Amino acid sequence: MQYKSQAVAKPYFIAAIGLFVGQILFGLILGLQYVIGDFMFPEIPFNVARMVHTNLLIVWLLFGFMGAAYYLVPEEAERELVSPGLALLMFWVFLVAGALTILGYLLVPYSGLAELTRNELLPTMGREFLEQPTITKLGIVVVALAFVFNIGLTILKGRKTVVSLVLLIGLVGLAVFFLFSFYNPDNLVKDKYYWWWVVHLWVEGVWELILGSILAFVLIKTTGVDREVIEKWLYVIIAMTLITGIIGTGHHFYWIGAPEYWQWWGSIFSALEPIPFFMMTVFAFNMVNRRRRNHPNKAAILWALGTAVMAFLGAGVWGFLHTLSPVNYYTHGTQITAAHGHMAFYGAYVMIVLTMISYAMPMLRGREAANSNRSQVLEMWSFWLMTVSIVFITLFLTGAGILQVYLQRFSADPLPFMVVQDKIALFYWMREVAGLVFLIGLLTYVASFFVGSREPEATVAVAEKA
Amino acid sequence: MMSNNMETSAAAPVGVQPATRPAYPPGDLAIWIFILAELLVFAVFFAAYAFTRMNHVELFNEYQATLNRDAALINTLALLTSSYFVMRGVVAAREGNNALCARWIWAAVAMGVVFVVVKSTEYAHHLGAGVSLSTNDFYMFYLSLTFFHFMHVILGMVILAAVAVKARSGGYSVEDHTGVETGASYWHMVDLLWLILFPLVYVMR
Amino acid sequence: MNTTEPTRQLIRPCTLVYAVLMLLTLVTWGIGRAGLSGLGVSLLVLAFAMLKGQLIGDWFMGLRGVRGIWRWVVVIWLLIPGGLISLAFILSYRG
Ligand code: HEM
Ligand code: HEM
Ligand SMILES: [Fe+2]
Repeated sequence: MQYKSQAVAKPYFIAAIGLFVGQILFGLILGLQYVIGDFMFPEIPFNVARMVHTNLLIVWLLFGFMGAAYYLVPEEAERELVSPGLALLMFWVFLVAGALTILGYLLVPYSGLAELTRNELLPTMGREFLEQPTITKLGIVVVALAFVFNIGLTILKGRKTVVSLVLLIGLVGLAVFFLFSFYNPDNLVKDKYYWWWVVHLWVEGVWELILGSILAFVLIKTTGVDREVIEKWLYVIIAMTLITGIIGTGHHFYWIGAPEYWQWWGSIFSALEPIPFFMMTVFAFNMVNRRRRNHPNKAAILWALGTAVMAFLGAGVWGFLHTLSPVNYYTHGTQITAAHGHMAFYGAYVMIVLTMISYAMPMLRGREAANSNRSQVLEMWSFWLMTVSIVFITLFLTGAGILQVYLQRFSADPLPFMVVQDKIALFYWMREVAGLVFLIGLLTYVASFFVGSREPEATVAVAEKA
Repeated sequence: MMSNNMETSAAAPVGVQPATRPAYPPGDLAIWIFILAELLVFAVFFAAYAFTRMNHVELFNEYQATLNRDAALINTLALLTSSYFVMRGVVAAREGNNALCARWIWAAVAMGVVFVVVKSTEYAHHLGAGVSLSTNDFYMFYLSLTFFHFMHVILGMVILAAVAVKARSGGYSVEDHTGVETGASYWHMVDLLWLILFPLVYVMR
Repeated sequence: MNTTEPTRQLIRPCTLVYAVLMLLTLVTWGIGRAGLSGLGVSLLVLAFAMLKGQLIGDWFMGLRGVRGIWRWVVVIWLLIPGGLISLAFILSYRG
């Protein structure tokens, strides 16, 4: 660690991992409710568990992004953070607000929570991923502003690199697009527009910039490849992301009452969205192959390469699968969507946060560059356990989805929704088993922070053998 | 023809014999990756036009007749001329003549302005007649394709202007003029796309 | 790559290319103006367009001085939309 203020990243990373565990526990509850309908009812109904699962995901990813930025920016700007104190304060604000919101979901009926938080004053609740009470949303905005201010000023006052500027654009975009969540028009078509302008423009727009810059940072650090080469890639990736991603939003406008030309615009542009993801894969492997040094943190490199591959598979391949409007006509809102959602979120954003944590945490905990060999071996086990199980979750859901589409929408005499759900229950059971393996992987991951911490650091030679 | 100015080309990778041809096109390789991606987008769009037309031949023929072919001719000539100017600008830069380079590039930008003005009057005409993306499949494609291309013309002009400004201030040299070639390559692509778009949308029936 | 080398020559090769491009454009426009249609005419016009594109690639973009795969990028690209458009037109005249 080169700058003292980078240390503020540590609590962010720890909170992220903690909430990640919570997210997965709720995922397992959900998965069980799919096959045992009244499991935990009425204490935790499916809709509440689902909300907690997805909201925890978003919140911990945000913690991860912020931590990553606080670690990355001082090193890129070659100066201390403008205000480490503000960063710590915001950490607690965000954590408390997040915890209260989750408790609200769990302890009060959702409509009661709406009343309690005076949702009628500025109604924003009730939309997937954006279920937070208005007051929480305002809290998020305050935290985001303080965060962008802190990061932005540090960058402006220090050395400006392509990596940190791209990161900054991504973070500002993240904050700006969140503002669409405050507008909740009565017109259902408009409502959907605004919702997608948050959700889609996040994951297929500005978050990709964040992803690209963090990936570039870790690759610069671990491979020693020239910054110039990496920056060029970053430019092209960013340009392609924006060209395809912004108009690509149209792939969500097919069936919501938007004009018909979106069938074309959405299909054509979103069909090209896999290109930047593919470029990222090529880029990552290219850099690692051209590396000028062997970094002792093998686990971080594994995560970085894993991100590049899995993001392409989840977002690129599984996204393309159902993005053309004639295909989406059949697959819209089925388990195919869920399959894609899981692999894309995991492959792109979960993995990039874990990549950064893997790279930075050893230094934040006082290591020179890497964890001990034993700790790394365990971490790499967790990588494989989680990654392979998400692949299986995706495959099972895809299987379920194909059957669902066929039985419910394609066959000569379509069956009702619930009848079909019964017929594909086996896939849901298998998904649950894969989910358990995921949890084991995650616990292994947590354990890797406590194992071998007294042992000496891995060196290049030792790591080579591992 | 080939060999005499190889050493002045920044595109030649280090270590390549001056006598052999470079393995990479003029300009920054990054712009070429970008160009490839753009070409792909348009290829998909062109094919979508042609195959949709296949199912609505009458409709497409009928509304194609409402387009202003003369305006399209002027625009094609304008873009070809601008491409020619840009190429002369590149040559000037290779010879280290910054002032001349700037003049050629500005002339190309002026041709771009012609394109933008003519195209805008066409749009004004159609919009005035109440045509929109939702009117029919032909207009949907006509407006989408040309407008998407129009945005590329504007972006290309911005890039060219930046090149011209830098050239004016003596920013390029015989050794280093990659920037000019980069901007030029992008502009030629804008031209190239229009060369397919023009016959496809305005003439072929 | 060097498309203009013989500067002392009366007309540079690239200027000649430019003239050909302008000419083909006028012919294309004339075909439209004359109201000509049909598969043969359409494919001819498309062939002109591809030839023009190839000239742009070779002479203006400077690809004729490049070796390897990049030498052929524009040509290869032209074949993709060119081929698909031809196919669509042929099919639409068939059926
Ligand atoms: C990392 C990037 C991505 C993430 C995290 C992501 C995530 C998601 C999620 C969670 C949904 C479900 C939204 C809902 O609740 O309805 C979704 C839907 C969708 N995604 Fe993605 N996605 C990504 C990239 C892509 C890409 C690149 C494509 C296209 C090539 C794509 C195509 C789609 C489509 C077509 C839908 C709508 C499915 C439906 O109609 O039900 N996604 N995505
Ligand atoms: C890091 C790992 C995970 C990520 C990133 C993740 C992400 C998501 C996302 C984005 C959604 C919303 C999907 C949509 O709207 O289509 C979702 C829903 C869901 N997740 Fe996960 N999840 C993860 C792990 C798990 C696990 C381990 C399980 C259970 C075994 C699980 C079970 C579910 C269920 C049952 C739903 C509800 C789907 C529905 O509404 O039909 N998730 N998850
Ligand atoms: Fe999307």
